[in-house]
Amino acid sequence: MSKTDQQRRAILKGAISASTLAMVAASGLILPQRLLAHWPTNAFNAETVEDALLALVGQAEVASDKALNFKVGSPPSYAVNGASVPVAIESNLENIERVAILVEKNPFPLVMSFDLTPASILPFKSRIKIREDSNVIAIIRAEGKLYKTSHFVEVDIGGCG
Amino acid sequence: MGLVAKDRIRAKLKKGNTSVRLLLAHPMHTGRAKNKADELIPAEFIQDIRCWRNEEEVLTIKCGTATARNPYFSFQLVGGKADDLIEFRWVDNVGAKGLAETRVK
Repeated sequence: MSKTDQQRRAILKGAISASTLAMVAASGLILPQRLLAHWPTNAFNAETVEDALLALVGQAEVASDKALNFKVGSPPSYAVNGASVPVAIESNLENIERVAILVEKNPFPLVMSFDLTPASILPFKSRIKIREDSNVIAIIRAEGKLYKTSHFVEVDIGGCG
Repeated sequence: MGLVAKDRIRAKLKKGNTSVRLLLAHPMHTGRAKNKADELIPAEFIQDIRCWRNEEEVLTIKCGTATARNPYFSFQLVGGKADDLIEFRWVDNVGAKGLAETRVK
């Protein structure tokens, strides 16, 4: 194959991938990237609870440790399998803006955060991974204040492997 | 884990409120685990889940890697009536996305 031929091929290839990208963008498949922009990378990659909270809600001082609760038995005090531990959060607070679940000793403490609207209310239930015996923390931000509760969970088999 | 790989979603009226339960089929790889050949499994986890009720956005969930495999969520919506449309859309870190919807019973 001559050199010009190879160049032609390279150009053709480039043109094809460029047009594919344009098609993808036009068909709306590029949408995930736009949604991803809202994902708080700093908060989820923080390695301590304080850093995660600062990145997520902009403050780490907790106003009160009352006013919200884990449901009894969820998370349990002892979990055999750390890969799937149920948690349930209840609260009587009003105007809740954001709720976060953290596990103190996980490589990245922040597990999930969710934003409530006036149409959605607690209790909220989910399942999380816990690497080793650790405190599970729930944080609620309501009217600019943080509320916190925690529960110590022992795990048999770590769930972040 | 004994679960059929299929999204499951239920929405039911309970004492005037709507109770919504969602189970997504997703491996939720953290990027830290190794496969049998001792290679790291690349991270693949859901990052963003949004819920709509009749076109109105009612809940946004952001997930990190520590959300359990086949993520499960349960929460309540104020009020609601039978036949309301509950719709979820999710996106993961590699750009895959999904949709789950149901009608309130």
